[in-house]
Formats: sequence, C-alpha cells, structure tokens
Amino acid sequence: MTTAATGLQHTPSLLEVEDLAVEFSTYGGIVRAVRGVSFAVERGKTMAIVGESGCGKSVTVQAMMGLTPMPPGRITSGSARLNGVEVLGRNIINGKDIRGSQIGMIFQDPMTSLNPTMTIGDQIAEPLQVHRGYSHKRAFAEAIELLSITKIPEAAKRARQYPFEFSGGMLQRAMIAMAIACKPSILIADEPTTALDVTIQAQILDLLQDLQKETGMAIILITHDLGVVARMADDVAVMYAGKVVEQGGVDDIFYRSAHPYTLGLKLAMPTNDPSKQHKLNPIEGSPPDLFAPPIGCGYCPRCPYSMKICDVKDPDILPVGKKHESRCWLQHPQAITVPDELYCGEKA
Amino acid sequence: MMWFIGKRLVQGLITVWFIATATFFAMHNVPGDPLLNDRATTAIIRANLEAKYGLDKPVTTQYFIYLNNIAHGDFGISFAQENREVNDIIREHFPVSAILGILAVVIAAVGGILWGSLTALYRNRLPDYIIMFLVILGISVPSFVIAALSQLGIVTINSLLGRTFLPVAGWGTISHMLVPALVLGLTTMAYLTRLMRSSMLEIVNSDFVRTAKSKGVPPARIFARHQLRNAVLPVITVLGPSIAAITTGGFVVEIVFAIPGLGRFFVEAVQQLDYTVIMGTTVFYGAFLVFMVILVDVIYGFIDPRVRMN
Amino acid sequence: MSKLTAADFAPHSNEHHCHALSRPSLSYWQDAWIRLKSNKRALASGCLIIGLLIFTLLGPLLWSVNSSEQDLDQLSTPPGSARSALIIPDYEPWAGPTTTVTELELAGSATTQSVRLQWTSLPEANGHRVYRNLYPVGEEKAYGIPMAEFFDNNTLYFEDRLDLSPGIYYYSVVALGNNRRPATEAATIRVDVLRATTVDEAIAQGLVEEGEEIAVGDTVNIALHPLGTDYLGRDMLARLMEGARVSLFIGIFAPLLYVLMGVVYGSIAGFMGGKVDQLMMRFADFVVALPFLLFMILFKISFGIGPGESGIFPMLVAMVVLLWPATARLVRGQIMQIREQGYVEASKLLGAKSSYLILRHMLPNTLGVVLVTLTFEIPRAIFTEAFLSFIGMGVAPPTPSWGSMSNEGIKTMLNTPHELIFPALLISITVLAFNLLGDGLRDALDARMRNTE
Repeated sequence: MTTAATGLQHTPSLLEVEDLAVEFSTYGGIVRAVRGVSFAVERGKTMAIVGESGCGKSVTVQAMMGLTPMPPGRITSGSARLNGVEVLGRNIINGKDIRGSQIGMIFQDPMTSLNPTMTIGDQIAEPLQVHRGYSHKRAFAEAIELLSITKIPEAAKRARQYPFEFSGGMLQRAMIAMAIACKPSILIADEPTTALDVTIQAQILDLLQDLQKETGMAIILITHDLGVVARMADDVAVMYAGKVVEQGGVDDIFYRSAHPYTLGLKLAMPTNDPSKQHKLNPIEGSPPDLFAPPIGCGYCPRCPYSMKICDVKDPDILPVGKKHESRCWLQHPQAITVPDELYCGEKA
Repeated sequence: MMWFIGKRLVQGLITVWFIATATFFAMHNVPGDPLLNDRATTAIIRANLEAKYGLDKPVTTQYFIYLNNIAHGDFGISFAQENREVNDIIREHFPVSAILGILAVVIAAVGGILWGSLTALYRNRLPDYIIMFLVILGISVPSFVIAALSQLGIVTINSLLGRTFLPVAGWGTISHMLVPALVLGLTTMAYLTRLMRSSMLEIVNSDFVRTAKSKGVPPARIFARHQLRNAVLPVITVLGPSIAAITTGGFVVEIVFAIPGLGRFFVEAVQQLDYTVIMGTTVFYGAFLVFMVILVDVIYGFIDPRVRMN
Repeated sequence: MSKLTAADFAPHSNEHHCHALSRPSLSYWQDAWIRLKSNKRALASGCLIIGLLIFTLLGPLLWSVNSSEQDLDQLSTPPGSARSALIIPDYEPWAGPTTTVTELELAGSATTQSVRLQWTSLPEANGHRVYRNLYPVGEEKAYGIPMAEFFDNNTLYFEDRLDLSPGIYYYSVVALGNNRRPATEAATIRVDVLRATTVDEAIAQGLVEEGEEIAVGDTVNIALHPLGTDYLGRDMLARLMEGARVSLFIGIFAPLLYVLMGVVYGSIAGFMGGKVDQLMMRFADFVVALPFLLFMILFKISFGIGPGESGIFPMLVAMVVLLWPATARLVRGQIMQIREQGYVEASKLLGAKSSYLILRHMLPNTLGVVLVTLTFEIPRAIFTEAFLSFIGMGVAPPTPSWGSMSNEGIKTMLNTPHELIFPALLISITVLAFNLLGDGLRDALDARMRNTE
C-alpha cells in the first residue's frame, strides 16, 4: 500500500474529509459528537473507521452524506471533497444527487433499513429510476441482475418479495445490491455485519471484497470489530470521543500501534492462539461525556501512561511514520518515559 | 387472502350473535311488562306481539324465536307506531345516516392524513403549532357544542348575506349534508391527525427512510413512496373504531340539524321506550359495525404485505 | 507547542483513576417526574385539574346557593345584568287615564310590576289593538305580539302586567277599521321598563337586611347570580358546581373502576397464558365488538330509573361492564412481554413465587402504561356522560350535570348563550386538561414515545 500512496502524494484522493465537526442540540445540552475529524479515502481501497460505540464514527459519515437530521444536528466546521468537489452540506452537485450515484451506503440493521411495504426489486430499482431515468421495467430487470450479482438464488422470484420474507443475511445482500446499483465510486458500509450471525458475516465480507475487485470502488468500512478491520482494510482511522486518535495503514495500526487507545483495543481483543495465556483486558472506565468534552486528551482518564499535560492540553496529531499519525503527547519529542509497547517511529 | 376474509366473516357472524344475545337479555331485564307501557299499545298490536314473540312462553323459547327472526332478517314490529315494521324504519332512515356517516368518515380520513402529514413535515414550526392547537380543541370540545356553534355560524352567515347561503337544518341536497358531515367528522379528524402526525414522525426518523435518502431519492418521492404508505397503516387500523364513533356521533348531529336519520330515530325510540325498534336498531348497528371493521381489516391487508401474505 | 517543560511530561501518580460516570443514576419514576416537570403544558393542566377539584369540592362551601331553587324574577338572566330594583307601592288596580291625554303615552312610570299606556283615538279608528315588541318596529310594520283589542273607541288605555322583564319594549297601538281589520294608522312608543319590587316582596325575598328600613323610592339589590340563571331561574354557578360533582364523579370514578378491572383481568390472562388466556381474550373481543354507546343506552333502559333517582349508578355500572376490555388487552400484552424478559426468568430461577413475580416485576412495570391509559380514559368518560345526558339518557333531571345543562342550554342558544357556553366551556377545559396531562405523562413514562414529540 505504501508504495502506491507515495506516488499519489500530491494528486487529490478520491475523498478528502478535513476537520469535520458535528454537534447535536438535545434536552441535556449540546453534544459535540464529532470534533475535527480528517481522513482520506483512496480509489479502490478500503478505509476502515474503528472505535467503540458512541465515538462518532457513524455520525461522521452520516453527516457527510446529509443523513443526520438537522436540526438537532449541525455541522460546525470542516469540508469533504469528492474528486476535489466540495460535497459537505450539499448533496446535489450539478443537478444530480451524489448519494446513490457516486456514493452508495449500507447500514447496520438490514431488517429495519428496508421499506417493509415495498418489494425488494422495487427498492433496488429505485436508484436506477432516480439517477439514470430508467423505466420501471428496465430498472426492475436490472435489479434482478443485481440480486444475482450479490448471489441471491432465484433472483427473479426474490425481487418480487417483501423484506419480511427475507432473512437478515439476504436483506444485507439486497442492501448491497441497492447501494451498488448505479456503480458508485465509494461504498460506505456502516457496521454492515454487526446485526448478523458470524457465518453470514464472513459471507457478506467476502461479497464486499469480490465486488470491490470487480468494480474497483473504494469502501469506507465502519466497524468496532478489529477482526473485520484486519481482514478488509487497507487504511485505518481509529476514533475516540469524536476525534481520530491514530491513523495509518492496516499494518501500522496492528503492528506499530502508536496510541495507547489502539494498544488497549488490541489487548481487549480475544485471540485463538492457545500458546499465549492471554486474558481479555478490558479498558477501564468509560468514554468522556461529550456534553462537556474534556479540555485535555479525551483518553487521559483511562490511559495507563497518562501524564500531567494530558489533563490540561489536547495533543495535536503528530506524524510517526509514512502516512501514519497519532494524537498522543507520548509522541511529542519532549516526552520522557515512553512505554516499550508504543511505536514511536524512527525518532526513538 | 380469501381464507383470511372467510375466517373474519365467520368471526363476525359469531360476534353479531353475541351482540344479539346481549341485546336480548339486556332488554329482557327491563323491569315490568314492556307491553303494559301506557304508550299507545293498542289491543291489536298487543295481540300481534304476543303471537309473534310468544311473550307468554318461557325466556329460552322467546330467545330462540327472537334469534330465528333475526336470522331471517326480521326485526319485528314497532311498539309505538301502528303497522310499522322495524325493517321499514331501518330501510327508510338508515341510508340517510349512512350517507352522512360515509361523508364524515371520508372527510375525517382524508383530513386526518393530510393535516397529520403537514404537521409532521412542519414539525415544531408555525403550521404545526396552529394545526395541533386546533386538533386539541377538536378533541376537547364535545360534538354537540361544535354542532350548535356551527349552526350559530350558519345563521350568522345567512343573516349577513341576507339570503340562505347554507340551510340551517334539514336534509335533501348536498348543501344540507356539507356542514353536518364536517361537524360529524371533525372530532375523528382531530384524532386521526394526531395519530398520523406521530406515526409520520416515527417514519421520518426510521431507518428505511434514511436508506432512501442515502440512495439519493428526492424528498417528494420519499414522501410519496416510502413515508405515506407506512405512516397511513396505523391510521387505517383505527378506522374501524372511528366508524363506530362517527356512527354514534351521528345521533347528536342528526338531532341538532334535524336530519331524518336512523340515529335520531333511535334516540326518539329510546325516549318513547319503543323496545323492538331499540333492539332492532342496536343489533342492526352492531352488525353494521362488525362488517365495517372486517372491511377495514381487508383493506389493511391489501396495503400491508405482511398481513396479506400470512 | 513551545514552552512545555519536563514537568508537564511527568507521568501521573498511581492514584490516577478513571473518572466515575459523571451523571447520577435516576430511578424510572424520578426520571419520569423530572421529564413531567419540564413539560409546562402538562404541569399547567395538572394545576387546572386541581383547580377544578377545588371548585367542585370547596366551591359549594363558599357559594351555598341551592341549585334547584328558582328565582322567578330572573329567568335566563345572563351574568352581569343590572341588579338594582326600585321599591314601589303595592299594586293598585287602574281604571284609566286621570289626566288629559294628547298622544300615546305612559301613565306613571313603567316598571316590571306594570306598564300603563294611554292614548287618544287614532284617525278613522273604530277600535284599537295593542302590540308589544322587543325590537323597534321597522319598515315591515312588525309590531310584535298582540296584547289586547278594544272594539270601541272609548277604551283608550291598556295596562300590561304580562311577564315583564327589565329592558326596552316597543308598544304599538294600531287603529282597527271596519270589520275589525287593522288599518294603516298606528302609534309606537319606546318604553324603558325598570325592575321594581314592593316593600313586602323585598322583605319576603330577603333582599333587605334585618332592621333596615326601606321605603318607596329606595332601591335594593336583588339576588346575585354571578354566572346568571338558567331558563327556570336557577343559579348557574350553583348548578355548575353540582354538575361538576356529577360529571367529575363519573369521569374519574368510572375509569378508575374499569381500568382496575381491566388490569386484574388482563394480568390474570397474561400470567396464566395458554387456553385460559385464549378464552378470556375471546370474551374480551366480544365485549369490545358491542357498539358502546348503544349498549350504554340499552343498559340504562334495562336498569330503569325509579322516581327520585339520579341515574348515576346505572351509568357507572354500564361503563364498567362495557369499557374494561381495552385496558385488559393492553395489560395482558404488557404482562406477556414482561414474562419473556430476562430478569423475570432470572427471578424464577432464583425461586421466586408467582405472587412475587406479579407484585414485584409485572405490575410495577405496567403501572406507567396503566396510569397513562387512566388519564386518557377520564376525558372519554366525561364525554360519554355529556353525550348521554345530551340525548336525554344520562342523569335524570333535576340533578344537573354539565351534559344535561348543555342540552338545556342549546335550546335557548340564540337568545341566552350563557346557558350553553358555561357548561360546554367547563367540559372542554376539563377534557383538555386531562388530555394534555395524559400527553405529558405518556411522554414522561413511555420511553418509546420520547423522541417523537
């Protein structure tokens, strides 16, 4: 991955998100769900956004897609450029909605994400009718084709059925068929396998990989499952409390973790290696209250290596390697005691 | 689907039987001999009735005679009016109530769906506040007050215009039906608006609408193809009970606007203690409502594929 | 990023701990109460309901006027009418004009005791007819009601003592031509009738305080009716308060009874499950199918109301018999749902008895829903009572209820709207208050509904 990336350093990425911030007004006050997130997605690559529930990973992509209800949601800053064109806060570019045509999206719960009173075929046909102006007949025929591409048997019969007649895994396949109907350049998969059985999960991930190979689309994969990340991702952004705390290539994240939170996530991951007497180590405590985000580093209270400065000042994102960055004071040149587990680039 | 309709029809018949039985025993419990009523029971009527209902026979025999008559669609002869069959009374007055009722149900359903959608779309903005304020009023003001006030309104308009813009009471033309049907449908419309609003709000925030947005479907098409049909479902489920509410609400409207419907006739029969008419009308209305509920169920089945398929 | 010292990078001491959860945990009811408190509409409605209860329960102590006593001097009097009455001498018969008459004129002053008219013979008149009208005689020559006819030209006076109220009257005298037909000649006089009473009457009606001397020419104040009187001269305020007792008694007590019955029935069905549940719910389905208001009427007839009974009790029984199934279905659904919950399974595994499960887990968890149902059933019961009373099938007169008062008021709606407006307003406000309170309670108690309002 790194070789290709160096070559393309100065040409714009497919999607560049910069300093995105989103907040919600609620009964309890303003929740600052996303606080300055930047990342880039390369053509044909898979970018994984990892983090625990409530860290703002879904809000990031939904705000970008114009799917967060506003109000109560509000984008306070940032930009998102698709092929160099600003798309944040507006989805219609040159009279065409980029959603469904250039960016497809699938969601966590396929059971509730499809319209219960519309046939599967009609729902898959809809983006074709909307974006390409197909007749219903032509779009429906294409929908059957898409269903068979997503490996649904008896596609023609299935297309006339309703969501309640499908199983969860089948519904997720139908969702994928719908999302790729107009051959988008990016597919956003928001926790696509969380609601599914483990065996189905593997099938869905395989399907996504196959489709990516065939169509060359980029995938933004949102997940909290590091196993899925390891299997699918080229690039990874780790999010915590509304910020990206570490990002880099998949190998950087797993083998050269440069943030204590990433280390914590790895320790909390179950392993099937019987040689290691590995006990699951949960990360103590809970994420900060985003009604009143901390002044310092959000992870500081739970961090085993925290320092005085972590409480009072939020660290900047610091480079630790090629396209590998970490938001941690331990990466600062003045940091004295740096734990061995933490990768600090060549400077250490 | 046919099996579903058949099953519901059988259930409906059993329900009608239950209604008839409850009516019979409720009326049988009336203290004293109904025929000793001082109201115009001539010797001829009395003789006819005794022969017809076997009033000298035991209760169970009377009950079976009664059931048999009903099964043959015969509700008997009026106690208060000589030589008038209850069937004739129903045949004459029910169509009036039915037209009024159907008009009111249509006004209520269409209005409820329309206003409910509108308030949901303009949620927490001025149109929402205005409509919801009117809805709260519609729910809280008794129908007879609305009827009386609207009559007052017509009188005022007529006197301002110096001619009969709308008739104050009576029956016959479309202009006679308009205001009573509106008044009759108003309370139900208010309920349906509220229901439609909350149902619509739930749908607006639902996952599948989010999916449709992520497909780039334009808002108007999302509303028409995704939101409306799903949001209307709960409204349809309460249409059955709404028809019942409108039917009985019709009593008041028919009285206030002097409309010769079955409801007004029923209230008159109650005041005159015309037993056969009371029983006949009750069973007839009961059967009518049961049938309406079945009809609504079937319509629901056609709209919601989940019901249709099972 | 400058000016950072080594001290900044000193690790935290070992006592550095994770923050505890910063927000305090609240129980279900605490949470609901906080939510309800922040709902201004619901809170205002709650206050309004308390106000109504005070009006009903304490009102009669402050305004202790008999609600069935008739004030025949003040029939259908709107609130705020003038109350002063002139004291005049006792009535003495009148034998005609004593002075020279030049045109149609009053003899003496016009009072509610009598209006005395005298006139001179109109041109070409063989006799005269006297009319009285409440409105001016217009172009259409609408003279009003004929009061008297005289078929000779000598009787040129008339005394009106018929049902006079304070206010303006228009008296017309029309000439009668040949064949006793009215001719075109007429004279009209506008008369302002004053309220008057005699010394004896004033004392008899208790308008004069003991020991106070009154004489002819004085004025006294007649009985006060803050909200006016109805068509029988009964005090509206007293009747509204007594009507409130009836309406609120049925409106609150009936739902309490049938919701309770529904809870018991529903929880038995839900807890037993299986065949018993099936059977019980089928029966509930049948009761639901009965056309409610028709059967209310039927039951009322079937109970019969004896003389002197108000008919409140039969109405109560009929409501309980007919309206329990809705709550029963709801509670049964809830119980069925709770039965499947993990914590109930866990409790069973720990050896909890059925009674414990019901009392500790099932009922408390259905309580919120039941409470919301109850608040919404109250306006329904009030409406039902009003509806039945309106069609004459509710409480029997003379017992007032808001519904029966509206029914009476609607007949005189055009002339004296206050007789309809006050009871109708009270029904509407009460129903509104309970509806808004119910909305607030539902939002506060029902987690699923929270984000839709």
